[in-house]
Amino acid sequence: MKKYSHIAGVCAIAVVLGAAALSIGNDYYLHIAFMMCVYYLCAAGMNVLVGFAGQKSLGQAGLFGAGAYAVALLTSQTEINPWAAMAIATATSGVCGVLIALPSLRVKGPYLAMVTLAFGIVVERLVSDWTDVFGGAQGIYGIRSPEIGGQPMSLGQWVCVGLVFCAVTHLLLRNLLNGRFGRAFLSLQADEIASSSVGVRVYRGKVIAFVIAAVTCGLAGAMVAQQNQYINSDFISFQLSIFILLLVLFGGAGTKLGPVVGAIVLTLLDALLARWPSVQHTLYGLLLLFALYVMPGGVVGALSKLVGRESQDSKEEYATAGGHVTTLLRGGRANSAELLTVTKLSKAYGGVKPAQEISFALKRGHIHALIGPNGAGKSTMINMLTGVVRPDSGSIRFNGKEVGGSAVYFICCMGMGRTFQNLRLFADLSVLDNVMLGRHSRMKNGLFASLFATPKARHEEETTRRRARELLELVDLGHLASRPAGSLPYGLQRRAELARALATEPELLLLDEPAAGLNPQETAELGELLLRISKFGVSILMVEHHMDLVMSISDHVIVLDYGIKIAEGKPSDVQVNPRVVEAYLGVDEAEAA
Amino acid sequence: MEAIFQALISGLAVGGAYALVALGFSITFTTTKTLNFSHGEFVSSGAFIGMSAMLLLLGKPITSTTFGGAVPGVSAQLLALVAALVVMGALGWLLYAVGVRPFAKQPGMAWVMSTLGFGVVLDSIGLAIWGPKPVVVPSPVGDSVIHLFGVGVRPQELILLAVAIFVMIVFDIVMRKTMVGKVMRAVAANGNVASLMGINTNAVMIGAFVVSSALAGLSGFLIAPITQASLFMGLAIGLKGFSGAMVGGLNNPRGCVIGGFALGVFESTVNLWQAQWREIAVFAVVILVLAFKPTGLFGSRLVEKV
Repeated sequence: MKKYSHIAGVCAIAVVLGAAALSIGNDYYLHIAFMMCVYYLCAAGMNVLVGFAGQKSLGQAGLFGAGAYAVALLTSQTEINPWAAMAIATATSGVCGVLIALPSLRVKGPYLAMVTLAFGIVVERLVSDWTDVFGGAQGIYGIRSPEIGGQPMSLGQWVCVGLVFCAVTHLLLRNLLNGRFGRAFLSLQADEIASSSVGVRVYRGKVIAFVIAAVTCGLAGAMVAQQNQYINSDFISFQLSIFILLLVLFGGAGTKLGPVVGAIVLTLLDALLARWPSVQHTLYGLLLLFALYVMPGGVVGALSKLVGRESQDSKEEYATAGGHVTTLLRGGRANSAELLTVTKLSKAYGGVKPAQEISFALKRGHIHALIGPNGAGKSTMINMLTGVVRPDSGSIRFNGKEVGGSAVYFICCMGMGRTFQNLRLFADLSVLDNVMLGRHSRMKNGLFASLFATPKARHEEETTRRRARELLELVDLGHLASRPAGSLPYGLQRRAELARALATEPELLLLDEPAAGLNPQETAELGELLLRISKFGVSILMVEHHMDLVMSISDHVIVLDYGIKIAEGKPSDVQVNPRVVEAYLGVDEAEAA
Repeated sequence: MEAIFQALISGLAVGGAYALVALGFSITFTTTKTLNFSHGEFVSSGAFIGMSAMLLLLGKPITSTTFGGAVPGVSAQLLALVAALVVMGALGWLLYAVGVRPFAKQPGMAWVMSTLGFGVVLDSIGLAIWGPKPVVVPSPVGDSVIHLFGVGVRPQELILLAVAIFVMIVFDIVMRKTMVGKVMRAVAANGNVASLMGINTNAVMIGAFVVSSALAGLSGFLIAPITQASLFMGLAIGLKGFSGAMVGGLNNPRGCVIGGFALGVFESTVNLWQAQWREIAVFAVVILVLAFKPTGLFGSRLVEKV
């Protein structure tokens, strides 16, 4: 119900504003309204990139230019239908978005920001210097606007078209960001390694975010070119890139209303100060400099903090699942075939060799423990199994398939879930969202299904929410589902991370020191929980220092020391193995001799 | 052949400016893990402050847009240089205080925005004072072309090259041989541990921004007589300086310097062939290098512990 009321609301606002636009005769006001639509489009896409995926793009003017010049060349040089030209221009800009995203495969942070900045400058130089094609400061005349009734669209009609585009963009992006993709974007902003370990394809996510920002910016550029029926190199400037960024940051990055507020307020400001360009620029500079300081969440963030509104989730009743855990229903431990086989796995960092030709096998349904003194290479082993660290040589076969050196998200999809030694929860996301992210790789709704919120997408979302709640019940965190994960006490964060790993529907669960920092009581509870999980048929490999925990619950123990496997077997056997005792306690020289 | 030699010399000269900028990026990045995204504006500002100081010494208003044939003497030039370095150093301090320090700990690289904003403000102030017109700045050694191995070279280009190399060598020695250098390297390696050892990390970080900004100012001051002083020249120099730093490896000062020079030579070689593809060729090279060596040719890889 709520879904449709929002759509109806947005449509109603668009219709009212459109009617108002058609009744206003003043071109000055209409132009401001048109620019609001244009800037909203830029900001809405940019918000996905900056606010959700957390990538800084300082070259949006280049993408705006790609759209504007594509439509300019198409309509002035060919006889193409102006609407089709607009669509092609938008697509062209999207392709440029892929180009700008390519470096993000290898570089991130400030490097990437600088690369995007360079992209914007290159486009700016290209359109101003390559005068044969782009006309430079002379510009391109004769750009054709779409026609209504044989006449080029009037400004009022342009505003209506702009409103339609804005409403559609808003609704589509809202669908996207409220579900699987929105969560994935936020997760890769927070922690790329954790994000890929729950099955998010980090690079693909970034490309999608860049393309969304590029498409909306390109559409905005095409609209401006067609409405003016003229474009020149002055339109594409570094100031525009900064302005687009500012729209999002000022309005509130990562909020859904932020771009609306940013576009309305800053377009008005822009129009009011148009007579004093230097004041205008100084103001934008100051806003960039201080806006994040005064209000890190932008205007919308500051207002919602002021109002102190609780998030919707906290009011939502959570259904108790009655101990039923759908995700984990597996064959049990009847089938005790080998699940994972590691053969002669080696890794060296210069002279440090945390793994030297290690071989072992893990059985389906068993709890295995990996122990050894500090520096034995236990975490490196977990990291190699999950693809975070690439082994130098050797093979890892999981369910009969070679996974050594595969991408992290791929290994997650194959059925290995993991937790981290130093907790890697997405601290700003709610506990529920963290766990729902775990199921990212199991959800089947693609980009377009999510954009249009198809029944399938909504069904997947519902299923994921239900299962995440079941898992939270399992680890006894149901009552904290809507709290930000980072606000939980340490011990509970460990359990939340465990639930997230379980949500990936793993066949093999890899736990890197699950009991680190827990008190004896909590450790005992963890042991019981792990036994329960194991009963569901999930195999476990844990790295652990708490020997009482290891000895009481594991079926099989592997001991590493300085990258070499020195023993393995039943806990009781390993405990008395002289090499293990030596590795842990050392040995008297007299005795050794 | 002569043309290539010519390109090499002017490439090395402009590369010297890039190298100074690249070194500045490297200094702040290694010590504070932040970059000044308005470094380009600092380059322009350095040029204009030097120019204004010279105009004042000649008894002209600082807003005049021409020297009218008057050539400031060597002492006036040196005073102007000192003025540029001091003012830019102070601006670096200001930038750190208002634009970097409050944001350094915030997630999401808020400092990118704040330093960008600082640059925009600086730019607007510059426009309000000096206007958008480029100004021809006289070189202290005259503009007559001297002939070297059969190619014409402007003396200012040689000065730029010499000063750049001198600064790099001094910096290298300071970093490796003195206590100041050790302190800076300690903060770069691990700021928290450094402060536990009694090092005033805040002072080191301020110092990093002061030195970095002064280097940007120096670069602008030296290149102004070659390219004319303009408020828009900084963006390109800053970007190419950063590109040089990326090619060389941001966390390796020597690599940054080499990257800056290499980019300058590459750019002027492309210029010889097709001037309008210059920028695109330069950035294409940067992207190519990053594709194969994400931390630059000489940068060390950062291993994130999981």
